[in-house]
This record gives sequence, structure tokens and C-alpha cells, in this order.
Amino acid sequence: MIAKEMDFLKMSARQLNAKRLRVALTVLGIAVGVAAVIGIFALSDGIRYQAIETIKAQADLTLIEIHPRTSDGITQLITDTKVDALRETPHVTAVAPAFMDSYSTKKQTFLQIVAVRGGEIDKVLNLKYTSGRAFEPNASEVVFGAELKDRLQHNEGIRVGDVFTALVREYDANGMPTDRQVPLTLTGALGDRDDKFDRYVLIDMTTASRIRNEQKGYDTVFVRVDDPDNVFPVVDEISAQGLAAQGAFEQIRAVNQFMDAILIVFMIFGLFALFVGALMITTTMITSVYERTREIGITMAIGASEADVIRLVLYECLLIGIIGGIVGIILGFLFTVVLNTVGKPFIIARMGVEISSIFGNEIAKLSPGMVAAGMAIAMVFSIGAGLYPAIKATRLNPVEAIRGMT
Amino acid sequence: MSHAIQTQLLSKQFANGVTALSDISISIRQGEFIALVGRSGSGKSTLMNIIGGLDSPTAGSVSINGDTVNYRDRKNLIDLRRSHVGFVFQQFNLIPSLNARENVAYPLLFNYVTREERNLRAARLLALVGLSERADHLPHQMSGGEQQRVAIARAMVGNSSIILADEPTGNLDSKTSTEIYELMRSVNKERNVTFVIVTHERDLASYCDRTIELSDGKVVP
Repeated sequence: MIAKEMDFLKMSARQLNAKRLRVALTVLGIAVGVAAVIGIFALSDGIRYQAIETIKAQADLTLIEIHPRTSDGITQLITDTKVDALRETPHVTAVAPAFMDSYSTKKQTFLQIVAVRGGEIDKVLNLKYTSGRAFEPNASEVVFGAELKDRLQHNEGIRVGDVFTALVREYDANGMPTDRQVPLTLTGALGDRDDKFDRYVLIDMTTASRIRNEQKGYDTVFVRVDDPDNVFPVVDEISAQGLAAQGAFEQIRAVNQFMDAILIVFMIFGLFALFVGALMITTTMITSVYERTREIGITMAIGASEADVIRLVLYECLLIGIIGGIVGIILGFLFTVVLNTVGKPFIIARMGVEISSIFGNEIAKLSPGMVAAGMAIAMVFSIGAGLYPAIKATRLNPVEAIRGMT
Repeated sequence: MSHAIQTQLLSKQFANGVTALSDISISIRQGEFIALVGRSGSGKSTLMNIIGGLDSPTAGSVSINGDTVNYRDRKNLIDLRRSHVGFVFQQFNLIPSLNARENVAYPLLFNYVTREERNLRAARLLALVGLSERADHLPHQMSGGEQQRVAIARAMVGNSSIILADEPTGNLDSKTSTEIYELMRSVNKERNVTFVIVTHERDLASYCDRTIELSDGKVVP
């Protein structure tokens, strides 16, 4: 059976060999389509990969911030049960629940308060102190982020070790605001983290509750995941619990969504090119069937069935598709090489070194999957394009075909 | 002797209303060498095409080697062309891109015959028609007579017991025509293959065992 198919394939190859120039042009048509599709995928994958790698390198990807979520008018609060569930979630290495508050200094500098438990937040954020130490539990002590420390030291002369007065705004029964003065000791300052903790004040949760004279619920939970690749499963788990997750991973999601949108637009052009290639195959094969009307008639007269004739025509198309696919993949590969070689200096010249650094060494990235997909697309389009001429060939009346009347 | 071909009240009317054949009843025995003669338009080719399963009758029946041909069954017609009937055409009708050996072997491609077997049978038949030396030549590299010899070999390759030849010497000079007739006659005698040869050359009809003459779609008594 396989030997017979191989014989048919060889027969088709000989037919193609007899009209080399026309076949070459048709092959080029399908090859350009495949190259366009592969090039588009390679470019978008390359940009996507580099952008994600940059985010991974620059952002704290394994830190997830969880918030209550409101949907259909119901708010899912963060409870201790949920926090415990988070601790048990696979790939989660540390969990720190927190609530937010806001004080101000005497000179009206806004202080964003993050009330946490010392040991927990240290595990999640891996805190590093440039001066001083962490706050003690239940003590009126705070720690400043790097940027806040510099600002308050410069503007208000508050230094590590100083006791300063924080104003805690409260509202009386008539809704009138009053500011209560609370003395706090700045026990330490964090190193530069390049995130929002640079501007935060960290305080012990018990102390913060005492200052407000109430036990507040959790506003947020900071979660540390073991590996960037495990972030999305953990996020899915959090979402399943009805909570909202935020973090640098959202940038990856945004990049993916953006690249998907661009890809769809580009793919329309790529598929258009492929469609033109397929039309060329159809035209070539219709012409070929017309030219070989007599030959097809003879073939049927000497015993070929309709299925045999369809096979002969479709194998020719398949061969065009395979050759077109291979040439297209080579063209696509050359495209990526040119882009990676010439594209980099071009981007540096147009946009500067900073932007070009996003692209690393590879602007376009060709994967084995793309090569396989390119080949499959070429073959499917080619067979599809050959169906009409193949069926047309079987409709020939052998008697008229042999006489050359059709 | 059994009948290779038998037709009963065979008629063919074309869609335009022209009657090509009318109540044709003939019997041809196995191993006969028959000339089918008649003027242009007398229905010779139509009768050949119907016997060979390339065309279907509007009425009547055809039996090949004792079996009635079912013209509504495509498989039956394909089997008829693959295994029972071989064609030889006036225009030779070889496949231009195939050499002589491949042309002879071509029908076997559709018959699940292995390549080795195909090549072996093609080589034997090319030897039979005296063209072993030309096995690798393409049709355009051969003379008309040689091409027709290849076509005869091709008609025989499926072990067909009947060969239908439609004006096989119509495009050949008289010397070559005689050679082709002698070849067909020797195949007929040595292998007991039934030949039905459409011709309007009455001289060549003298090679035949019997002549069937058609006129206006009817057998001339």
C-alpha cells in the first residue's frame, strides 16, 4: 500500500518536473505565504520573549499582592481562614497579611502605613536595612522605605533613631476631623527596592490597631512564590478563592495580550499571502488539468479509477506544498537572521540604546513548533487548493478527453 | 469456442438525438482477429468505446468473456478496463513524460502490482514488440511505428484477453502499417488475444479472420 502511494508520488513528481518554471513560480507563491506567517510569528515571539525576559529581570515577579474582590455586589473579604489556605497553596513560600492606613507628619507629609507582622513581611519581601533595625512587636516603632526616608530627612530632619510625631486623623460624631498626635520612633530605613515599598511606612499590626483603637480586617496579603514560572498557577488558585491578585505578572499578561492582538492583525496579512499562494496552486493545477485532458482520459481508459486521478492531482499539489513549505521556512529563517543582524543597529540608531536593550540579542525567534506549523499550513493549503482541479479532472469524459474535445 | 465479446440489440443515441448505433448484435469468439469497417460516422468508434466500457449504451447489453457488463457500476467498468480490455489509439496516446518502459508499465500502477513486477512485465512486452533497445526513450524520441508498438505492449500488459484498436495505423505510412498489423497478428496467434480493429483501410482488413461492416449504426449483413 505504501509502495503504491510512493509510486503515485513519484509519478506526480515527474509531472511537476515536466513544467519546472511554472511549478517554481507556484512554489514561490506558497513559500512567500509561509515565510510571511513564520516571519510574523518569529518576530512577535521574539519581541514577546524579550519583553517578558526584561520584566522578569527588572520586576519582582514572584511577589503577588492580594486584595478583596467585589463581584455582583458581594465582597470577598480576606479572612484568617483564607490566609491559612494561601499558606497551604503549592509554590507559595511566604505569606504576609496586612492592612493599610494613612497618617501624616506635622508638616503634612502623607504617610502610607502598611501594618504587618515583622517576621512575616520580612520573609515575603526579604527586607534589607541601610540603617537601623526592624520594628519590635507592639512597640510604637516604624520603618521607612528608602525614598520616604530621604525625603523626610531632607524636608523635616527626621533621622533613624529619632522620635517624631505622626498625626492620625479621626472624625468626631459630627463628622469633623481632628488630628491626634502619636509619637513614633523611626527604628530603621530600608534599602532601595525600586517598588512602592520605597515610599511606605512599615508598622507592627498590633501597634497600628492600638493607635486606631480598633481591630481592622486585612486589606491585602503579600505572597511570595518560589519561581516566576509558578506565578500564574498560584494566581489562578487565588482567583478561585474569590480574591483579586496584582503584581508584576500583570505586565507579562499585558504583554501577551498586546502581542496577541498585534499577531492577529499581522496574521491576517500572512494568511492573505498564503491565500494568494493557494490561488496560484489552483490556477497552476487547473491549467495543468486542461493541458493534460487527453492524458487524464488515457489514464482513465487504461484502468485508473476516479480516486486514482484525484490522488495523482493532489499528490502534485502536496509536493508543491512541501517544496513551498521548505522554501518558505528557509526564507522565514533568513528573515529572522537578517532582522537579528541588521535590526539591532537600526533600533539603536532610531530609538537609542535603552530601547534596543529590550530586544536583547534576538529580535525574532524561530521555534521548531513554528517550522512544523509552517510546513503543515503549506501542505493543508496546497491540498485544499488542489481539490477543485482534482475533482474537475475526474469529471472528464474519457472518450471526449482522448479525442481532445473537452 | 467461447465468446469473447457478445452484444445484443445494442443501441446508442446521443443527447443531441443522433442515433450512433441501432440494434447491434454481434458475437466475437476468443482469439478472433476482427476488422470493424465502415465509413466515417458509421458508429465504429462508438461501438468500440461501449465494448471497452468508456461509453455506455442507451439500450441492449454487452458480455465480455461471458459476463454481462454493468454500465451503472463504475467498479465493474474500471475492472473491465484494468483486466479484460486493452486500448490502442490512432494517436498512440502515450504519456509524454514517461519513457517506453514506464508507459507500458503505467496501467499496472493502478492495479496494485509491485514495481519489480511492473518493470519485468514491461520489459518482456517491449521485447515482444521488438523495442527492448528503446525502453528508456521518451515518446518524442521514437518514430510513429515505435510509439504504436509501445501502445500495443501497454494494451497487453494487464493480461487483457481483448485488444480494441481504433484506427491503429491511421497515422502511419503503409510499410509501418503492415509491420504493426503483422505484430498484432502474431500476438493474436501466439497468445490467443482477441483483436477488434477499427479501420477504413480495406487492404489491411485482409489480414483479419473476419470483417464486420457498419453502416449508419447498423451491421451490414
